[in-house]
Amino acid sequence: MLPQLVVLARHRQLITTLTSRDLKARYRGSLLGYFWSLANPLLLLGVYTLVFTRFFPRPDISPYALFLFAGILPWIFFSGSVMESTVAISGNAGLIKKVMFPAEALPIVVVLSHLVHFALALPVLLAAFIIAFALGKVPFHPVIVFVPILMILQALFVAGIALAVSSASVLFRDLRDLVQNLLQLGFFLTPIIYSLDKIPSQLMRTALRLNPMTPFVVGFQDIFVFGRPPTLVDAVLMAFWAIASLATGFVVFDRLRDTLAEAI
Amino acid sequence: MSSPAISLRGLSKSFRLFGRRTQFQTLKSALLKRDLRPEPEGSVQALRGLTFDIARGEAFGVIGRNGSGKSTLLKIVSGILKPTEGLVSVNGRVSALIELGAGFHPEISGRENIYINGIMLGLSRKEIDRRFERIVEFSGIGEFLDQPVKTYSSGMYVRLGFAVAVHVDPEILIVDEVLSVGDEEFSQKCIAKIQQMKARGTTLVFVTHQLPLVKELCDRAVWIERGAMAAIGDPARVVDAYLQEVAGNHQAAPSEVPIIRGEQGSAAAAPAEEPAENDPLEEERWGSGEALITEVSLRDERGRQLVALGGRNPVTVRMDVAARTPQTDFVFGVAIYHADGTCVYGTNTEIEGWRPGNLEGEGSVEFIMPSLDLVAGSYRLDVAIHTKNGRAYDYRRGAIRFIVGSGLHDVGIYRPPHEWTFRGGIALEKAQAGRRDVPPEIEKTLRELDDSDESS
Repeated sequence: MLPQLVVLARHRQLITTLTSRDLKARYRGSLLGYFWSLANPLLLLGVYTLVFTRFFPRPDISPYALFLFAGILPWIFFSGSVMESTVAISGNAGLIKKVMFPAEALPIVVVLSHLVHFALALPVLLAAFIIAFALGKVPFHPVIVFVPILMILQALFVAGIALAVSSASVLFRDLRDLVQNLLQLGFFLTPIIYSLDKIPSQLMRTALRLNPMTPFVVGFQDIFVFGRPPTLVDAVLMAFWAIASLATGFVVFDRLRDTLAEAI
Repeated sequence: MSSPAISLRGLSKSFRLFGRRTQFQTLKSALLKRDLRPEPEGSVQALRGLTFDIARGEAFGVIGRNGSGKSTLLKIVSGILKPTEGLVSVNGRVSALIELGAGFHPEISGRENIYINGIMLGLSRKEIDRRFERIVEFSGIGEFLDQPVKTYSSGMYVRLGFAVAVHVDPEILIVDEVLSVGDEEFSQKCIAKIQQMKARGTTLVFVTHQLPLVKELCDRAVWIERGAMAAIGDPARVVDAYLQEVAGNHQAAPSEVPIIRGEQGSAAAAPAEEPAENDPLEEERWGSGEALITEVSLRDERGRQLVALGGRNPVTVRMDVAARTPQTDFVFGVAIYHADGTCVYGTNTEIEGWRPGNLEGEGSVEFIMPSLDLVAGSYRLDVAIHTKNGRAYDYRRGAIRFIVGSGLHDVGIYRPPHEWTFRGGIALEKAQAGRRDVPPEIEKTLRELDDSDESS
């Protein structure tokens, strides 16, 4: 894992430049672009809030909108990065075939660019939190300053998946469809619209804990809704998934690396 | 600084073929096979056993037909592809122009694309800052600098790409057939820039179909044919050899495996190498080897060996022949070809009515021409022993190459013995000087040969 990280570090200027290119192309310097990046989480937020506070009221989580928002942001970081990484390499055939180019930079750029979206959405979450706190709906805990650490751990976890998915989807064209469906399934198997504690079956709770996205989402909910630091178990799980995923990602990528320029 | 800039040792590359079926292989089938990589349907050998060095500061041309492996070679040298076998070592910062502007992003401005492209080519931001003005000036995109690249014409796109790539100040510049894009003016500008880089000691490797450019710019060139080296060396020679081949001067392809290559007269039946590797300027030789032409020479009337000939001198082709096993079915053949591949003359003993009797042990055959009557130029001689139905015992294509010199500037191949007469009211006067059969440099060579013959 270390040599691969060294390679990435050597290309850091390339990676940061490509990331800012990606962001510039997306936002094109406009404020409107920024709002568009928030449209998806806000839409999800609106729909689920409407459904679960008006259609099937769930008074057990309050404020439900904040709970949802805290869970949706890390999820969208994950699903957006993974989905886009399916075309990170195959969509840049010109670079891989025509320029001497470190292919691993491409999925990393995808993850970084989504991490920036995540960070840009954070002020909105923070504003929502401050309003809820001012209304006395949620408690405050100083652990909130450690949110960036959670994001970095999650970014490492997502980067590992993105490395594997980006290289494998060059060879397996059906991977994109598979990933899309798995992500949809994953959304409901992650405690985003419901709380893990409220699940009656102990077995189901354990099963959902095995979902690597669970500790990242629950960690955010703990900090922003319940005013408590993530549990030790969750912290260990986050670190474990980050390292395991990155190591696996590099192994898969290295196995496929040499075939990329030919198979693309 | 004496180590070569680029060094290739036994470089081979084969591409695996992925057909439609495997291209869209599903993850499920891969998992069932327990191998993530799709099974190739076959493979194509793109490069076979290339071995050569490119020295620092050298301008090196790569020529060959489409699909011969030129671009694959450049991609391997620039690190985009990995060789299947063999070693590549490249010493120095490489800037590869495989495709100009490959890394441009259409949505963002030319200015930002200059930075991104420069960083991809290995520069830091500061280094680009220093070069920025020169890049913009060279590209001539002017007021479009802050427009998104998608609004550029294809010419502007290419100009910007080239401008960035050459201002990287690479130690090794690799250029793949990009000089032919863009207008004439820009093309000239690129060539001037390349010459300037060459003068500054940049190693240049480029693929082009503009053969005059290879002759003009390169110190050396290689001709790649079906992935193998067909010729390497002086660009003029390599280009001419290539042109000669392209002009469609293939003789009937040898059906037998070539048995001997290399030194004249070596009778060792070495195992055949790839015929495609043959240098067209070298002899090609094939046949069963039951009878061999061990030595071929051109001699004058006194039996002295010749390499350069005047057009009117008598010349004898002498073949020393050795039969390993006695033969009763044999034909001796001789053919003269012009360097452009035209067959000047060909004949054999069968055509001229000689019935073979016996060929046993050693002997020699002489083909005597009282006058060669050829116009100045370079020629090659093929000699052969084969059976009446054409099966070769020993076929030596290009066994000898020789130059015919002439002080006259007459043209063509054949110079029929002739004279001019004028009658009536026509008066011409023959100039005294300048009418010589043998130019001085050829005469000198002949004299040297004479000397060496007499001393031995």
